[in-house]
Parts: sequence; C-alpha cells; structure tokens
Amino acid sequence: MTAPTPILRAERLTRTYRIGDAPVAALRDVNLDLAPADFLVVQGPSGSGKTTLINLLGLLDRPDGGRVILEGRPVGDLGEEARADLRRDRIGFVFQTFSLVPVLTAAENVAWPMALKGLGEAEAMRRSRTLLERVGLAARADVRPDLLSGGERQRVAIARALANEPPLVLADEPTAHLDSEAAETILDLMADLNRERGTAFLVATHDPRVVARARRRLALRDGRFEGEGRAA
Amino acid sequence: MTLWKFAARNIARNRRRTLLTLGVVVFGFAAIALAGGFMAQSLDGLGESTIRSGMGHLQIAPPGGFDDGGWETGRGLEGEARIAALLRQDPAVKEILPRLEFVGLLSDGRRSVPFLGVGVDPVPEASQMDAPKAIASGRWLADRDERAVVLGAGLARSLGARAGDGVTLLATGEDGTLNAVDAAVAGIVHMPLKELDDRYLAATLGLADDLLGAGGRVSRLAVVLGEARGAAAACRRIEARLRDAGVVVEARPWEALAPFYRQVRTLYLGIFGFMGIVLVVVVLLATANTMMMAAAERTREIGTLRAIGTRPSLIRGMFLREGILLAVAGSALGALLALLVRLVLNHSGLELPPPPGGTRGMPLHVQAYAVAYAAGAVAMLVTLTLAAWIPARRASRIPIVEALTHV
Repeated sequence: MTAPTPILRAERLTRTYRIGDAPVAALRDVNLDLAPADFLVVQGPSGSGKTTLINLLGLLDRPDGGRVILEGRPVGDLGEEARADLRRDRIGFVFQTFSLVPVLTAAENVAWPMALKGLGEAEAMRRSRTLLERVGLAARADVRPDLLSGGERQRVAIARALANEPPLVLADEPTAHLDSEAAETILDLMADLNRERGTAFLVATHDPRVVARARRRLALRDGRFEGEGRAA
Repeated sequence: MTLWKFAARNIARNRRRTLLTLGVVVFGFAAIALAGGFMAQSLDGLGESTIRSGMGHLQIAPPGGFDDGGWETGRGLEGEARIAALLRQDPAVKEILPRLEFVGLLSDGRRSVPFLGVGVDPVPEASQMDAPKAIASGRWLADRDERAVVLGAGLARSLGARAGDGVTLLATGEDGTLNAVDAAVAGIVHMPLKELDDRYLAATLGLADDLLGAGGRVSRLAVVLGEARGAAAACRRIEARLRDAGVVVEARPWEALAPFYRQVRTLYLGIFGFMGIVLVVVVLLATANTMMMAAAERTREIGTLRAIGTRPSLIRGMFLREGILLAVAGSALGALLALLVRLVLNHSGLELPPPPGGTRGMPLHVQAYAVAYAAGAVAMLVTLTLAAWIPARRASRIPIVEALTHV
C-alpha cells in the first residue's frame, strides 16, 4: 500500500534575510510533508522561523533555496497572478492578527474569496452565511470587524479561510491574541473542521494549548526542525 | 460586493480626508468650467461684436476682392441685384448689406485726417449692425442717397467735428483723379475698437458712389445669417450656389476676415489652456498625496487581500476605481458649484473693463459652456486616475510578507 501523495511538500527550503549588511538565515534546508486531512503543528519560540515557513508554504514569499510542491505541482516558477489564484483556490489562511477587511461585514469578508473565484454576489453571500453559521456567528454576519471580539474575528477568519473549500489551511499563531476561552473555541473549531471536511491544517504556534491538540508536531529551532513528534 | 461598492466604502472610511480630496476636485472642476464659460462668453461676445460692427457673418467680393483694402478703380461686384437674389434663396440668409469700402481724407477746410470709409444702405444697416445703435450724438443716416456721413468718435475728435457740421471727403475716383464731395455730419458713433473708432466713417451708398464714381457697383456684400454658428458651412454652400449660377465671386466667413478675433481667441486659448494645466497639476499633486497616504495606511490590509488570493491586477483596479469614483463625484459636485457661482456672477451686475483695443467694457457673464464641463470632467478623470495609479502600482507590487508586517 502506497502512502497518499502529500498535499504539500517542502524540499530543502532555505530563506535568508539581510539585516543591515548581515545575512540572517530564517530557514535552513527544511523538509516537510503534509498529508491530506493532516493536522500538523509546527512549534517553536519566537524567531525560530515559523512565520517564514508559513509564508513560503503559503506562496506568500519565495525561498532562496529549495522548493515548494503543492498537490504534486512545483510552484516556484509561477508568476504572481497564478500564485494568487492558487492561494485563492487551494489554501486558506488564518493570521495571528485576524486580518479582516474593516470596511466589509463579517459575511462580506467571508464572501470575498468566493467572489474572487467568480461566484455571484448572492450565492457567495448565501454560502458565507452558511459558513458563519458553522463557526457560530450567524447572528453576527452583518457586523463589521471593529464591533466583533477577538475570538469572533478569528472565527470569521477561519470561515474565510474555508470559503473556497481549500484542501489546506495554514494558520500562523491563531490563538496568540485570544483569551483561554476564545482560544479553546478556535481550537475546537479547527479540529472539528479537520475531522468533518478532511481539510489539512498546518498551524504554527508557540502556544502549548495548540501543541496539545496536535495530531503531529514538528519543533522548529533556529530555522531547522529538531525532530518530529507524534501525539499519543 | 462589487469592486465599485468596495471602492466606495474605502473612500468613505476616512471622511475628513475624502472631503479634502473631493474639495480639491470640486474646486478644480468648477474653476475649469467657469474659466471655460467665461472664455466662451468673451469670444462669443467679441465674435458677435465683430459681426455686428459691419462685417456680417460672411462676405461676398469679386475675385481678389479680399486681397485689397477696399475700392479700387475699375473693380467692384458686378450684378449686385442678381447676386443678392441668389443669396436670398438660401434659407439661412437673413439680410444682405451692400458695402462700398474706400479710404480717403476728411477735411473741415482747415485740417484733413485719413479715414476708413464704408458706403452703406442705411436702413437695413440700422436693423442689423451695432453702429447705428451706438450713436453718441446726432443720428444715423436716413436713406441711401442722403449726402451725409457718420463719424467714429475718435475721428470726429481729431477733426473737432460735431453732428450738423459740414465736412469734405477726398478720395481717388474711378478715373484715378482725386475727387471731393461735401457732406453733413449726421452723427457721431462710438465704435467698439479704438483703432476703428479713430478712423471710422460711414457714408450713404449714394454719396460714396458720387465720390468714387463707382457706377452703382459695390465692393462687397455683407451677409447676415439667422445665427452665427455654421457660418463657414453656409459660406461654402452659398459660394457653390453662386458658382452653379455662373457668378464668379469669392465668399469668406467672418472668422477668416477678422484677424483680431483670431488673435484674441489664440491668446485666450493659450491663457486658459495654461491655467487649466496649472489647475490639473495642483489637483494631481494634492490628490496623489492624499491617495498615497490612504494607500500607505492600508498596506497591511492590502497584504491580507493579496494573501487570500486577490490578484495584483485587481488590487490596482480597486485603487483606480477609487480615483474614478472621486473624479465622478467631484465633477458632479463641481458642476453644481460652477452653475451656482455662474448664477451669482451673472446676476451680480459686475462689468469688466474694456478688452485690449476696446472702447467699451462688457458685463461679466459666464456661459454654461458644455465643452468646458466635458473638458473638466475628462481632466478630473484623467488626473484622479493618474493620482490613483501611483499608490495602485505600489500596492500591487509590495511584497506580501512586507505588507502583512507593515506597522
């Protein structure tokens, strides 16, 4: 029996920044496979390279060395527009700072990626409300982000990440700005969606509450994986 | 959520800044519309004044008749009556005014001064031209054969002549000798241009014919149309009609015969064109600055939009739509402001000083000149699109990671 094709593969990913004249290696020869419906937590302290890894895997940045393969397809040579289309259709993002568009309501924020894909406004809004209902925010669909709590905003962000039913969601410190109760709600939600929909989650965090929920975890330190651990 | 609605919400998010930007566009548009309206009114006024100063909307002359300064021995328009009859067949023609133009000396027996004379048929002249309406003293000429003249105020002043005085006109006659005729000064008239006022003499056709020995011929026919617009087309049409009838003449529209008008128009276009460019640059700098500030504040949000799959071209489109919306809203409000200011100015009773070379001021009047409004709208649209292009280009090119971490 052959192992399923990884939905996401990183091969010898390297990323170096320059701070002044000094080169600083954020990632060094990082390899990673993420299977469909996996729930992988990449843990590590601040500055370990977690966000850099998410950025490279999410096609937000380009590596200095190595390559990213999404659903069996190397993405290094793709232009900006093609990468944007891949992010829109195949990858959902959940950011530490929620990153909702302030002039759009919760429902409109969730409908945005669907509209980008060409879905009509009415249908996009209908699906958006369904997703918001799934994350427990049906009653807050027409509220703008500045009137939502941190936990509510992050739930909207999760609904937005799932808008085009991507096979992969990348989350960067999704609980960092949330209190314990809101963080638990978010983690429950991500775990449920992973289980229900088969959506693969890759979560970068240093929050032990998230690490505790991981099905698989990798520890990143100084731009390198220390070793892979598997949850019981 | 359409991109237009999204752009409108982004514009509305910082109301104070949007109002400032909109204010710049509104005043820029209104300035262009009002300046254009004033220019159009001034040029129309000058054109109408030129036409009504005796030129008519177009003129008919014998071949080569537009190349000389007036009457020349042995020259003249043959068959005036037939030409006039042919001209009257054109529905645009309202009146035909015969002209016998000449130069000569005007004397009171002690002094002589040069004049530019024109022999006219006083009755139709009075109904169509401004000179008979601008009599300062005395009266206009009574009939075609009256032995009287009307003098420009400047000419009368240089000779010390008054209405009722007797004067002598000297000019070269048909046989090449100097002829002289006596005439009474029927009236003094204020001509609109100083140069003309200093030399203007209107005589009856009968008196001019006696002086020149023209044998009933005239030098030109001035044709008055129902309206000034379309004079050039009417001129071409009339010339063709006369040619088809076997009449060999030249016809020219009033603009071709009015170098002063053309010079003023060129001057106005230069001045207002320069003003327009300055305005557009000011609007461009002011709006580009505020739009760049707005875009810089939204850098992180732009990073988010791009991260979730918004194409760079769509990001550019979003900003350009904001510029276009501001241009459209600003132009609409600017048009309202321009119409309001125009209403106030046109009812203010203000009078402008005489134009260069003029003798009379004119009331301040601003037209609702559609071309200026259209030009203003296009200028604002292009300017705001340019102003939006700079932040749009930046937003679509900034690295996503950099945008997401922007503070």
